[in-house]
Amino acid sequence: MPLMKPIVDFEKLKEIRAEILRDRKKRKRTITVCGGTGCHAYGCLKVAQAFQREIKKQRLQNSVEVRITGCHGFCERGPIVVIQPEGIFYQRIKLKDVKEVISKTIKNKKIIDRLLYVDPETNKKIVYEKAVPFYKKQRRIIFGHNGLIDPTEIKDYIAVNGYSALSKVLSRMTPPEVIEEIKNSGLRGRGGAGFPTGSKWEVTAKAPSPVKYIVCNCDEGDPGAYMDRSLLEGNPHSVLEGMLIGAFAIGAQEGYVYVRAEYPIAVENISMAIEQARKYNLLGKNILGSDFSFDVFVSKGAGAFVSGEETALLASIEGKIGVPQQRPPYPAQQGLRGKPTNINNVETWANVPFIINKGASWYSQIGTNGSKGTKIFSLVGKINNTGLVEVPMGMTLREIIFDIGGGIPEGKKFKAVQTGGPSGGCIPQELIDLPIDYESLARAGSIMGSGGMIVMDEDTCMVDVAKYFLNFLRDESCGKCVSCREGTQRMWEIVKNITDGRAKMEDLALLEELAGAVKDASLCGLGQTAANPVLSTLRYFRHEYETHLKQMRCPALVCKEIVGSPCQYICPADQEASTYIALIARGDLAEAYRIIRKDNPLPSVCGRVCNHPCEKVCRASETGEPIAIRALKRFVLDWAASHNLKPSLPSRELKSEKVAVVGAGPAGLSAAYILSLKGYPVTVFEASPVAGGWLALGIPEHRLPRQALQADLDHIRKAGVTIKTNTVLGRDITVSGLFSQGFKAVFIATGAHKSMRLEIPGEEARGVLKGTEYLKKINLGQKAELGRRVAVIGGGNTAIDAARAAMRDPSCQKVMILYRRTREEMPAFSEEVEAAIEEGVDIRFLAAPVKVLTEGGRVIGLECIRMKLGDKDESGRRKPVPLSGSEFKLKLDTVIAAIGERADAGSLTKGESIDISQWETIVTDPETLATNRPGVFAGGDVATGPRTVVEAIGQGKLAAESMAQYLEGVQPVREYKLNRPSLYVEPMELSAEETAKASRPKIPRLTVKDRRLSFREVIQGLNEAQAVREARRCLRCDLETEDGKKAIGKNT
Amino acid sequence: MHVETQKVKKILADHKNQKKALIPILQDIQAEYNYLPPEALKIVSQTLALPLIDVVGVATFYRAFSLKPRGKNVVTVCLGTACHVRGGPKILDEFEKKLNIKAGETTKDNHFTLEIVNCLGACALGPITVINKNYFGQMKIKNVDRLIKKFGSAKRS
Repeated sequence: MPLMKPIVDFEKLKEIRAEILRDRKKRKRTITVCGGTGCHAYGCLKVAQAFQREIKKQRLQNSVEVRITGCHGFCERGPIVVIQPEGIFYQRIKLKDVKEVISKTIKNKKIIDRLLYVDPETNKKIVYEKAVPFYKKQRRIIFGHNGLIDPTEIKDYIAVNGYSALSKVLSRMTPPEVIEEIKNSGLRGRGGAGFPTGSKWEVTAKAPSPVKYIVCNCDEGDPGAYMDRSLLEGNPHSVLEGMLIGAFAIGAQEGYVYVRAEYPIAVENISMAIEQARKYNLLGKNILGSDFSFDVFVSKGAGAFVSGEETALLASIEGKIGVPQQRPPYPAQQGLRGKPTNINNVETWANVPFIINKGASWYSQIGTNGSKGTKIFSLVGKINNTGLVEVPMGMTLREIIFDIGGGIPEGKKFKAVQTGGPSGGCIPQELIDLPIDYESLARAGSIMGSGGMIVMDEDTCMVDVAKYFLNFLRDESCGKCVSCREGTQRMWEIVKNITDGRAKMEDLALLEELAGAVKDASLCGLGQTAANPVLSTLRYFRHEYETHLKQMRCPALVCKEIVGSPCQYICPADQEASTYIALIARGDLAEAYRIIRKDNPLPSVCGRVCNHPCEKVCRASETGEPIAIRALKRFVLDWAASHNLKPSLPSRELKSEKVAVVGAGPAGLSAAYILSLKGYPVTVFEASPVAGGWLALGIPEHRLPRQALQADLDHIRKAGVTIKTNTVLGRDITVSGLFSQGFKAVFIATGAHKSMRLEIPGEEARGVLKGTEYLKKINLGQKAELGRRVAVIGGGNTAIDAARAAMRDPSCQKVMILYRRTREEMPAFSEEVEAAIEEGVDIRFLAAPVKVLTEGGRVIGLECIRMKLGDKDESGRRKPVPLSGSEFKLKLDTVIAAIGERADAGSLTKGESIDISQWETIVTDPETLATNRPGVFAGGDVATGPRTVVEAIGQGKLAAESMAQYLEGVQPVREYKLNRPSLYVEPMELSAEETAKASRPKIPRLTVKDRRLSFREVIQGLNEAQAVREARRCLRCDLETEDGKKAIGKNT
Repeated sequence: MHVETQKVKKILADHKNQKKALIPILQDIQAEYNYLPPEALKIVSQTLALPLIDVVGVATFYRAFSLKPRGKNVVTVCLGTACHVRGGPKILDEFEKKLNIKAGETTKDNHFTLEIVNCLGACALGPITVINKNYFGQMKIKNVDRLIKKFGSAKRS
């Protein structure tokens, strides 16, 4: 083609466009490969080369073209390949896929299923780009051509009507008309403050100077925003055309594109575009034969955030230190080299050709009253579909985050979205329906900025986010103004102290005062807005600051100094897991045993049935599998039992105040034990014939052998605790009665054992059992009459325990579980579910009972209905919805209802003047566990509703501390401490080989055959070699805090 | 580092010895030497007739310039907001631990320089690390060791 000759007039441009389009038509198909930075990192260039090779090999050069295009925006799914003209959308394309795409899709028009995008909502495969939910709700005007053109080919841009707006302006419009058009469109600057673009141009246009400049600001420094990069890389000519039109309107002769140093591809592509435009005479003298002359130069930044500020940017172009200057004079009066200068950012310039081509009235129909047009957002952070999205102004956050962004990964909860970069703020979940435009964001305490939207989930700590931005700002503050230089530093120090657990409540007030001072006394936008991240997080997330300050807790587990070792931090019983693991690693098992016993009255139990929250937060899982903490604890306890090791009890001063504990479950026993260690005489009253609560009555022996429980009970009794069984609250004793017997304080920990009813017809029939009652019977050695076919209803641990126990009953032949949701939503511990399935329990998911079928008052079956998962409820779980017409019948002899338990405190404490909640739990102050009645405390399931063993232990320990304060005559106040171990154990040096080989041991279990009809413990212990090896794998997070580092430094 | 006066003068001449081109001149010098050698800055100062303090001022103001020689491999860990919430700091911790240096330092064997950047504009790939212009997206802690091995012998000094 006779290209690269200057285009001498407007007609010639049209002719060239027609010629390009004619040439294009010869080739029927185009394979576009996204060449954005994201896809680059995924290896798109190699994919494109492979396509070219394959096309040559198959001799398709004349009918198929391969084009590396600008960014398609859906970076999450790169490398992206779209086959035009159909728009077939293939994602995550690998080199090995190339051949198949050519032979199947290109040659035979067959779609390759595995390369399609699967909509996670519907699980359906999507063939066409337009139908992908990520694109469906977008309105891609500015970005529209990105995916069609090769940014290094000017003819691609001309083919999509490129430079026609310039042609229109030069042939038919005067500069004031252009300015008027831009003003009428309502376009506002896309770089931050949103100043009306037309008015800005007008000021520079009217400035009395023969020499004027325009600048394109691509110093996109806001972390988390990259739409300018993508535009300049993906469609540089659209930016150039916008600048040309602006220069014509303003009367500028030279323009500069200031690109940050971190964007090498953008520099390359815009430089190439300028070269090509010059050759076409679209830049230079007498453009398109008119008397308008203009040229553009690229200026590369060198890495300074503040240089994005207008005056600083101009200084940087001049080769000086990029610090802001006092305004006025504004750049429109005295800018680059002292001449009037108009600065707009990339996205603003790219809007201009569309406004000129389609008209201001078309443009101003898009968007809201005050904010016109579309806006490109970079949707990043904790979001499923990360990428660049272009939507009309006024779209709600919910639509952007959930409909386009596909929501939060891993089913986590959305917490906030940060907009506007370091000058912006965090918008909380409550404002999810906020329509996004300049005004609404400002009202919410944030700004549009350049359009970064960083999505944060429950694992993000908002105080840490504030610290992050302050760290950024103190680092990027140019230092010119003291208020900014020192203020950002001091604010950072305060917030850092908060995240380190070393600040006081008063520091918050100081922080707010300082924020005001920095805002008022700084020269440029950086300082004036430096307080925003702090102010907006304080506005919406003050409670998180307070949790850090008062409780020294970081709920998101982010703040390293507060969290210390996560295993210890998360444990409700304060077990120093990292300490005893370190001791196991050194072979000091006796000391490990002491550390375990020190904090936990029921460690033999926990070593077996704890739901081990510690393992869920173990950092070893970031590189492999978590440390087998529970198995290690059990190993130490088993070792101690086999060596007949008895822990010594600390000496104590005996006190006279008697304490009563009602309920010998984990909460009651823990409180009793700790109070006894403090010297108080404690009596525990237990309703059933045995001590242990649910540990003895609920959990079957295949999970918890009774000698393990006995070992812990022996130790508790040895500490001085008296346990009286067969004593029922409300029947044999009352709270008031205990006080009159001389007890000075009472702790109620009666648990939550009441089975919830199915609320279906036939529930009263013989053969319908309650889960808790069935388990109580078998655990007390009583006969539970089960038929041959048993169905357990429910998905919690009680259901699984009941089903696994029934499997061990010789009279049962078939045991099934009916659960109305899917395995994913099952609240039972997943290892228990797995074991139940292994043992032959038939779990039917998405099934719910409708009616118990009876004959002569006896169960003969169940009528059930199939369910499907509907929309998410408040808990974030998808609600089961019955599928009408899907009823089915099951033949059964026994139905065990285990859909949940609840407390029954009202009937137990009738007439005792103790406040009871609507859930029949006792109302307590969560800080102290005190009830409304002086001297009466309550904890464990009776206060919290059904929870785990280790939480009950934690509650018992907390109650003991409060009760001790009460007995000493002080108002109970919970004491919070930084999470630190009681001692730092020297770390082990592992060889590289050992590190590479280390992996979590497989926990031995009884074979399924051996479990048949037997209540022998299923899970077996580790041997010493396995335990030591596993303990050596620990990453020792306790040594990552400043204290930990210091302690080890001292020891070595 | 041996600095050839002619080489620096050529870079200056390519920019027509213009004061306003100071930043691109320094960028070109750094591209040549991997850092800004003091000798080169003196030549720039003399040629452009700019006080050395102004040249050094610009060289120290902008983050992209280094006055210290850098290692054979430059590891840049992005700590932009998107990378931050996706665990960027943990990636940096791991590099610091494995290379036994802090951000901004170079290993004794000169194999690696560890740097941080406030945003690379490749946020969809976060957390992201760039090693000598190669982008590694969706970094995981376990990848760190592999990358160090790939790019050079990571000596624990």
